[in-house]
Amino acid sequence: MIDKLSEKDIRVLKLGAIGAVVILLFVLGSGWRDRWVAAKSKGTALQAKLDVIDVDKIKQAGLLSIVPAFEMPKVEDEQSFLFRDKLSEQFKKAGIKNKPLQVQPSRKSPRPGYNLLLVKGSAKCNFSQVLDFLARLNENPYLVGIEEFKIKKSDPKKPQVVDLDLTVSTFVRLGKKGGGL
Amino acid sequence: MNNHKIDVEKPKSVVAIVKDDDQLRGVELQDKNGTVELLWTRRSEGAQADWGQFAAVCGVSPEQTGPENDRRVIVGYTSAGTIFHYAMVPAVGEKEIASMVELQAESRLPLPADQIELAWRTEVVEDGQIGITMAVARKVQLKTFAESVRSLRPAKILLDCEGIVQAWRTIFSGDETKAVVLSMGSGNTQVCLVEHGRLSNAVVLDVGREDFLREAERELSETNERFSQDLRSVLELFGCSQQSDLPIFLLSDGDAFHVSIVSSLRMAQLNARVALPEVHRLQADIELDAEELYEYRASIGLGLMAFEEGDKELNIFSGVYRPAEKKEKAHWLYSSKLAGALAAFMLLLLAFVAYAVDVKSPEAIKKRLQASVSDMDMDLLVERQQLIRAVAQERPDMLHLLKLVNDSGERGISLSSLQFKKGQVVTISGQVGNNDQLRDFEKKLQETKGIEEVNCTPTTDSKGKKITFKMNFHYKNFTQKKVKRTSLGRP
Repeated sequence: MIDKLSEKDIRVLKLGAIGAVVILLFVLGSGWRDRWVAAKSKGTALQAKLDVIDVDKIKQAGLLSIVPAFEMPKVEDEQSFLFRDKLSEQFKKAGIKNKPLQVQPSRKSPRPGYNLLLVKGSAKCNFSQVLDFLARLNENPYLVGIEEFKIKKSDPKKPQVVDLDLTVSTFVRLGKKGGGL
Repeated sequence: MNNHKIDVEKPKSVVAIVKDDDQLRGVELQDKNGTVELLWTRRSEGAQADWGQFAAVCGVSPEQTGPENDRRVIVGYTSAGTIFHYAMVPAVGEKEIASMVELQAESRLPLPADQIELAWRTEVVEDGQIGITMAVARKVQLKTFAESVRSLRPAKILLDCEGIVQAWRTIFSGDETKAVVLSMGSGNTQVCLVEHGRLSNAVVLDVGREDFLREAERELSETNERFSQDLRSVLELFGCSQQSDLPIFLLSDGDAFHVSIVSSLRMAQLNARVALPEVHRLQADIELDAEELYEYRASIGLGLMAFEEGDKELNIFSGVYRPAEKKEKAHWLYSSKLAGALAAFMLLLLAFVAYAVDVKSPEAIKKRLQASVSDMDMDLLVERQQLIRAVAQERPDMLHLLKLVNDSGERGISLSSLQFKKGQVVTISGQVGNNDQLRDFEKKLQETKGIEEVNCTPTTDSKGKKITFKMNFHYKNFTQKKVKRTSLGRP
């Protein structure tokens, strides 16, 4: 039968066959490509997460020296209570009789999903007590950072006595209750 | 020896063209099952014919006659400007022989070595001596000739006297071990010494057929005499003057004129004979006669040489003309199609492997995490780690700041306050005993790592004894406004 076909017919058949193969490849290939892109992005996201967790030992040690204790933030009321409680305990441990801590309204934090809550405290105490307090402050697992710190000699006759004003911050989780790691 | 080997593969068909008496004469020979057959003979019309035009007349185009085809073109170069020399040298190594040949060639032609072309070949060895046939010619002449025939893409350019010798052996039935072959043209005569079937020396005499034909009866005997004398001189040059029985063959088509010349030579005590072509020695598609064979003797001879095994011809053009070489059939491994197919396969394999890795990697990472962090929520872990990092960036070390300030001051400096607020400069105030102390304090602070842009404002105490001061500076990046705004945003 193929002998009866002219050269033109054979050429048309060849082109048709090539076209069919190209269409088949395109259909299969596009599905395959989509699966590949999805798998690739999934892999990239997982790898990025791994990179965050899998920090090398030196960097991890550096982080631990700055943040030796950390608790995942809770919602505002709970976090505020825990933070103030721990802060009061730390003042007490340092022998500082502080005035009641003032909680300022939480404000927006650049970190998505969290607000920043500021707690202000003040006290009249010895300079050595301030040092003792500062040395232990990092152990507060709710502390984010010191926003404001002010010490001033209150009485020239008592050089060791200082007025301390301190504002510290903590994260509060927005919305539902936070997890507990 | 020839400087390089040229195509020795036997062609199926050879077109040989020679310029003879200002006319181009071409023949085509074809190998048919081991028998060489003459297909056609052609000559150019008129004198000073153009090689390219004549090739076109002969149906020769470069596309048909390239090295990739079985049809070759052989071009004959007239030996008139070529000096031949035969010498016996000790049968030593090829390098030593080459050195001796070069020295002899330079002595034969009073031209610098860079202006001549030399071809040589070894002949038979006798009593520890080896015969060397040399051909020397001016390079510039050869280059000019090679340029004039380059459009034909000839496979070889050979000396026409070699064609004469080949023709004598083949169609004139020359089988003597040693003989002199005379090929007379209109204005000259080629005298070739043939030994063991090959040209060993040659000279071109400037006496030809026209010289004999135009002379009157009385002057003809003078021409005959001069020709005999010239021939004797040539025999002397060939070293054969004592060999009175050395056969001298005058190639002829049977013309009575040739017979008369031979007679005169014989009368001069030379062993001259007429050599007639034998038509049956060459198969032909066309009707052949002795005259035609005689006329095309040089072309036929050169054509026949192309069918012979080996490359022992004197290729004097080896330094000035290199024929296009046949592309050797590459091994199948070097096939571009195979390389393309392999490349395509490797590309597919690469794509497949990349796909498999990308698909399997997330699963592998998950498995690894499940094994290492057991039931912990990975997302929570990531978030915790990111928060710890953010906190670390937001947490200034006040103890460290106090230590830096304290270490910079000497005894006698009394600090009264220190104020730190994120995004603002750190301010300290106090008292010093004198200006030097204050300057030193400021300088040391400025040199302390982590403290920048120290500004000091001294004011004299109202009592006048001590100097009070206010100083502000930046501490790390906590007091820079832009840092405060962006640091928490970092993961």
